[in-house]
Amino acid sequence: MYEVLKYIHENIKENMTLSEISEKFGYSKWYFCTKFREYTGRSFVKYIRYFRLHLAAADLLCGCKVSDVAFEYGYESVGGFNKAFLAEFGCYPSEYKKNTKEALIYYERKRHTMFQLSDRCEALKKCAMTRNDFEDFYCVQRIVYTSIGQSEAAKESLTNDEILAGGIARTLDSFTPVIQPDELIVGFNYANSKYPERLIPKNDEKGLEIMRMNRISEADIETFFSVRYPSLARVPIRQTEAEINSKKEWAAMGRCQDNNHSVIAYEKVLRLGFKGLYAEIEAFEKKNGKNKLYNATKRICLSAMKMGKKYAAEARRLKEIKDERYSEADLDRIISVCERVPENSATTFHEAVQALWFAHIINTWEDNINANSLGRLDQILYPYYKSDVESGKVSKEEIFELICCLWIKLYLGYDVQQSCVGGTSPDGKCQVNELSYMMLDATEQLDFIRCLSVRYSQNSDKNFVKRALEVVGHVQKGVPFFFNDDVMIPALESKGISHEDACDYTQIGCVETVIPGKSNPHAVTGETNLLKALEYVFCNGYSMMYPEMKNGYATGELSDFDTFEKFYDAVLRQIYEILDLTCETVKRHREFSVNNSPRPYKSLLTEGCLESGRDFNDAGAVYDYYQIMLGGVPNLADSLEVIRKFVYVDRKYTLEEIKNILENDFPDESVRQEFINKAAKFGNDIDSVDSLAVDIVDRSCDYLDELSDKYCLSFHAQPFTFLWMIDHGRESAASPDGRRKGEIIAYSCSPMQGRDFNGLTALLNSIAKFPTKRTPGTTSAIVEIDPKLFTDRNISLLTDLLLAASIKGLSNVQFNTIDADTLIDAKKHPEKYNNLAVRVSGFSQKFNAISPEIQDHIIARTKHSCL
Amino acid sequence: MSVKATVTNISRCSMHDGPGIRTVVYLKGCGLRCKWCHNPETFEKSPQIAYIPDKCIKCGRCIEICPLCHVIDGDSMAFLRDKCTSCGKCALLCPTKALTLIGEEKSSDDIFEEIKKDSEYYKMSGGGVTFSGGECLLYPDFVAEVADKCKKAGFSAAVESALFVKWENVEKVIPYIDLFMTDLKIADSKKHSEYTGQPNDVIVENLKKLSQTGKKILVRIPIIPSVNDTQDDFEAFANVLNSLEKSNLSVELLKYNYLASSKYGMLGKEYIAFSDKSQSDAEMKAFCTLISEKTRLNCTF
Repeated sequence: MYEVLKYIHENIKENMTLSEISEKFGYSKWYFCTKFREYTGRSFVKYIRYFRLHLAAADLLCGCKVSDVAFEYGYESVGGFNKAFLAEFGCYPSEYKKNTKEALIYYERKRHTMFQLSDRCEALKKCAMTRNDFEDFYCVQRIVYTSIGQSEAAKESLTNDEILAGGIARTLDSFTPVIQPDELIVGFNYANSKYPERLIPKNDEKGLEIMRMNRISEADIETFFSVRYPSLARVPIRQTEAEINSKKEWAAMGRCQDNNHSVIAYEKVLRLGFKGLYAEIEAFEKKNGKNKLYNATKRICLSAMKMGKKYAAEARRLKEIKDERYSEADLDRIISVCERVPENSATTFHEAVQALWFAHIINTWEDNINANSLGRLDQILYPYYKSDVESGKVSKEEIFELICCLWIKLYLGYDVQQSCVGGTSPDGKCQVNELSYMMLDATEQLDFIRCLSVRYSQNSDKNFVKRALEVVGHVQKGVPFFFNDDVMIPALESKGISHEDACDYTQIGCVETVIPGKSNPHAVTGETNLLKALEYVFCNGYSMMYPEMKNGYATGELSDFDTFEKFYDAVLRQIYEILDLTCETVKRHREFSVNNSPRPYKSLLTEGCLESGRDFNDAGAVYDYYQIMLGGVPNLADSLEVIRKFVYVDRKYTLEEIKNILENDFPDESVRQEFINKAAKFGNDIDSVDSLAVDIVDRSCDYLDELSDKYCLSFHAQPFTFLWMIDHGRESAASPDGRRKGEIIAYSCSPMQGRDFNGLTALLNSIAKFPTKRTPGTTSAIVEIDPKLFTDRNISLLTDLLLAASIKGLSNVQFNTIDADTLIDAKKHPEKYNNLAVRVSGFSQKFNAISPEIQDHIIARTKHSCL
Repeated sequence: MSVKATVTNISRCSMHDGPGIRTVVYLKGCGLRCKWCHNPETFEKSPQIAYIPDKCIKCGRCIEICPLCHVIDGDSMAFLRDKCTSCGKCALLCPTKALTLIGEEKSSDDIFEEIKKDSEYYKMSGGGVTFSGGECLLYPDFVAEVADKCKKAGFSAAVESALFVKWENVEKVIPYIDLFMTDLKIADSKKHSEYTGQPNDVIVENLKKLSQTGKKILVRIPIIPSVNDTQDDFEAFANVLNSLEKSNLSVELLKYNYLASSKYGMLGKEYIAFSDKSQSDAEMKAFCTLISEKTRLNCTF
C-alpha cells in the first residue's frame, strides 16, 4: 500500500481518480477502497483532499497567496478552496494564516509591548526594597495617637464603637504627612521589617528615643504613658473545659478574633468621597434615628476628609522651600490630587489610585495591616482609566507608572495585602481589561513578593491565563495564584450568595474568599485537625498523644469494628465531634467579639452595616459567614486506605496491632515503609484512596450545614491549613499512613509531601475530585513545578493543563517554581539567596525568613517536572 | 478479546513526547542494544527484578520468601541475579521498593483505562498517547488496538520506535498513528552494528517505506559524543534523510543523556559513559544547521 501512497504524494497536484489508481496498481476497485481506508483511516477522495489541504496550509504560512495556492492544488475557485479549508481547519485560509502567525509571534510582541519600569519606579523600588528610609521615623505614630484618641473618647462616651473611632480619628488628625522624593502616590501605613506595626514603645530611654524620633510632642508622650493600656471595656472570654483540652492538642480550634481580614468597598470612596459617605450616614441617621455606629462612622469621615489636604499642604511647603530633591511638577500633581481626594469623588485615574490608597491606609490603621486586602483593582479602577485615556489627558505609560507606585506602596517583607485581576461578569463574560494586563506587567517588572490573584474561567481569554502563567515563571515567587470562576462562583452561590455578588468575589490575605464591600468572612476562625479523629477511634474517645485526655467521643472498642464501614463510621462520628466543638466555640466567642472588637471603619464601607445600624462584627454585613478550615484530610485518607487494605482486605494486621504500632511510633521501620509503599496514597489519581478524601470533605460539608442550622451561623468549609500543619503534626500521634509521631501533616488538601509520584495531571485530578463546589473557602493547593517547565514552548501547554484541570473541578491552585537543589543550597547558604521567595501557604515569603521546619517541608514536597 | 503486552511504565503528563500533553506507555523488549540506551530495563521482553541497594533497610523479608536469591553479604543484602526466575514474590514483599518487578503484563483495556484518565488534558492541548519502549512495535496488535480506541475517543496517538522490526509490524499500526517518532542512530551500517548490536538496513528500509505513507514523521538522532558526531556522520545522516520522502518529515537532534548509569546498576548491568556531560545548546544548534543545510529539512533539538 505504501507504493500507492508514494505515487499519490508524488502526483498530489495532478488530477487523480480512484479507478485510475486502482487499475494502475492492479487492484479491484472494491478491494482497493477497503485496503486504502484500513491503511490511511480515510477514504481515497477524503485522503487526497486532506493531504492537499495540509500542504496548502503549509504553503500559506510560507507567505503564498490564497488564490495561487487554491489553483495549485487543483481547486477551480477560491470559494471552493475556502469551503474545503473551513471544513478541515475550522476557519478560512486568511484566518488560519493570521491565527497561526499570531500565536507564533505572541510572545515576541508581548516582550516588545510590555511596559517598562520608569526611572522613577526603579528608584522607588530600590528604596522600598532596601528600606533604610524615613519610615522608621514614624513607625509608632499610629499606636501612640490611637491610644491617646481612644482614651480621650473613653472619657466622653461609653461604647466601644465610638472609642475605636476616636482612636482612628485622632491618628488621622495628628499623623505627620511625609512625601518621599519621586513619589506620586503618597501616604504610608507605618510598618516595616525593623519596627513592626504592633510595636509599643516602653517608658524607658529607648522608648522615649523612638517617640522623639517619631516627632511626637512631649505633651502627647506624657499622655500616652499615662493611658498606656486604655480603653475598651472588654469582656473576658470564658473558655469551656472541652475547648481548653482540645486546644492543647490542636484538634478543634474555634476562635473569633475578627482581625484584619477584609475587603471593603473602596470603590465607594472613589465614587462618593468621604464627604459623600458622611452625607449617606446622615441620611441613615435621619431614617433610623441616632445610633452609636452612626456617631462613630461620622467621626471617622470628618477626620478622613482632611487626610488629603494634609499632604497637599506638605507638598506646598516643599515647593516653597524649594527642596531640590523634589520635582516641582511632581509636587504640583500631588497638590492637585490631594486637594480633591479622599474628601471628594475621584475624577481621574491618579485621584482614584490615591483615594484608594488613603482609604486602605485607614483600614489598616483600624486593626493592623496583615491581611486587609484591596480587591478587584482592575475592575474598580477601569472607569477612571478609560475616561483618562479616551480624553487623551493621560498616556498608558503614565497609568502604568501609577500602578507601579501603588504596588511599591504595598511592598512589605511579609505581605498578604491581596489584590485580584480578571474575573467573569454575571452574564458570563470575561472581564479582563487592559489594566489586568498592566497589573501583571507591574508584578513581573517589580519582581516583589506581591500577593496577586488571577480569576479565570473557560470563557477567559486564553492569552491572559498564559500571560499570568508566564509571570509565575518569570517572577518565580509563586505569584500570581489562580482561582477558577467556574467552580468558585457556584460554590459561593451554594451558600446563599446571589449570582451577581458571587461573580464579584475576590480574595483576602492568603486565599480566603470574600464579596468585596458586602461581607464579613470571619477568616481563620475555625481550624481543625481531622486526623485526630483516628486517634479518638483507636482509643475509644481518648487522645493517643495525650492518653489522659478524652477529647473525642466514645465510639466503642476496636473489636466492635468488624467491617471497614463500621470503622469508617466511627471516624466520621469523631470528625463531627471535632467540627461541633469548633463551631460551638466560634459561636461562643462571637458573642464576646461583638462587644470586644467592633470595626466602625469597616462598617462604614460594608453594605448592610449602616442600613441596619449594626457593626461589621455584629452580623451587620449583607453576608456574614465563618470559614472552618479542614486540616489533615490527605493524611486521614491515606491512613484509612492503609487500614482498609491491611486490616480488612489482606487481613495482615489487626486493629489492635496497628494501635500498638502507632502508640510505639513504628518500632519496626519495615512496617512503616510497608504502610507508606504498599497502599495507595492520595494525590496519584487512584480512586480508592482519593474517594476517601473526597468523602471526608463531603461529609464535613454536610455536617457543617447541619451546624449552621444548629448555631444559626453560616459555616463555609475551607480545606486550608495555613501554617498550622506544623502544630497539628507536632501534637498528633503516629498515623497509619507512615507519618511518625510529631511529623508535619500535609499542607491543606495537597498530598502528604513526597507521596505523589504519578505526575502533574494525576495530582491535579486528585485535587479536582474534592467537592470544590461546596467549599467556597477554597482548597489552596500548592503545586511544585520544575522552573525549567516555564519556557515559552511549555507555557502554552501549562495553560492547557490548568484549563483542563479546571474543567475537572480544580478551584484554586498556586505554583512554586524553585527546584529542590536551589532550596537545599539556600538553606545552607542563606546569604546567596536574599531575594529568593517561595509559596509557603496562602502567601509567599522570603525563603530565608521562614523557619527551618517549614523550609524542610517545602523541600520535601514533590517537584513535578513533566519531562 | 483484549490483547496484552508487557509494560514497564506508564508516564503521565509528558510534554516532550509529541504534541500537547501526553501519556507515554513504555513497552518491554527491544532487538537493539544501544550502548548509551537510557532505558536498559526495556531490553529484555520478560519481566525482571530491579534492586536498588540504597533503598534496602535490611529487614530480611526477601530472605524469608526466597533464600535462594537473597542472601546476607557481610553488612548488606546481596541479590543473586543469575538464580532469579523473576517470580516477583520478593518485590511484592519488599516494603521500601528496593526490590521491584519491572514489566507487568497488561491488557489493552487496562492501558486504555489508564490513558483515559487524562482525556481532558489531551482535548485541551491536542495531546494523547505515545507508545515507547523498548521497541513498542514488537507489540503491533496491542499498539494498534489501544491506538484505535484512542482515535475513537479523539486523542492523538504517536509511536516512538527505532523501527528495528518487520515491516508488517509497522504497517499494522499505520492506520491508527498520527505521528511516528523514529530513531536514526548511526547512518553507517557497520558502525551501527558495532554500537547497537545490529546493522541498520532494516531500519533504513522501514523508514523509507514509512516516509512514503504520508504519515507525519519526526526523525530523532541521539548525538553520542565521539560515536556519531563527526562531519562524516552528519554527511551520512543527510544521505539517509535525502533518500526519504520528505514532505511530512522533520528532524530532531537529542542531546546525550549522561545520567542513565543508575538504571544499569539496579539491573546488574555495566554502563559505558561516552561523556560526563551533555552537549551545549550552541553545539546542538550547529549540528542542526548542518543537517538542515544538507537536507533542507526542518531540524530542531
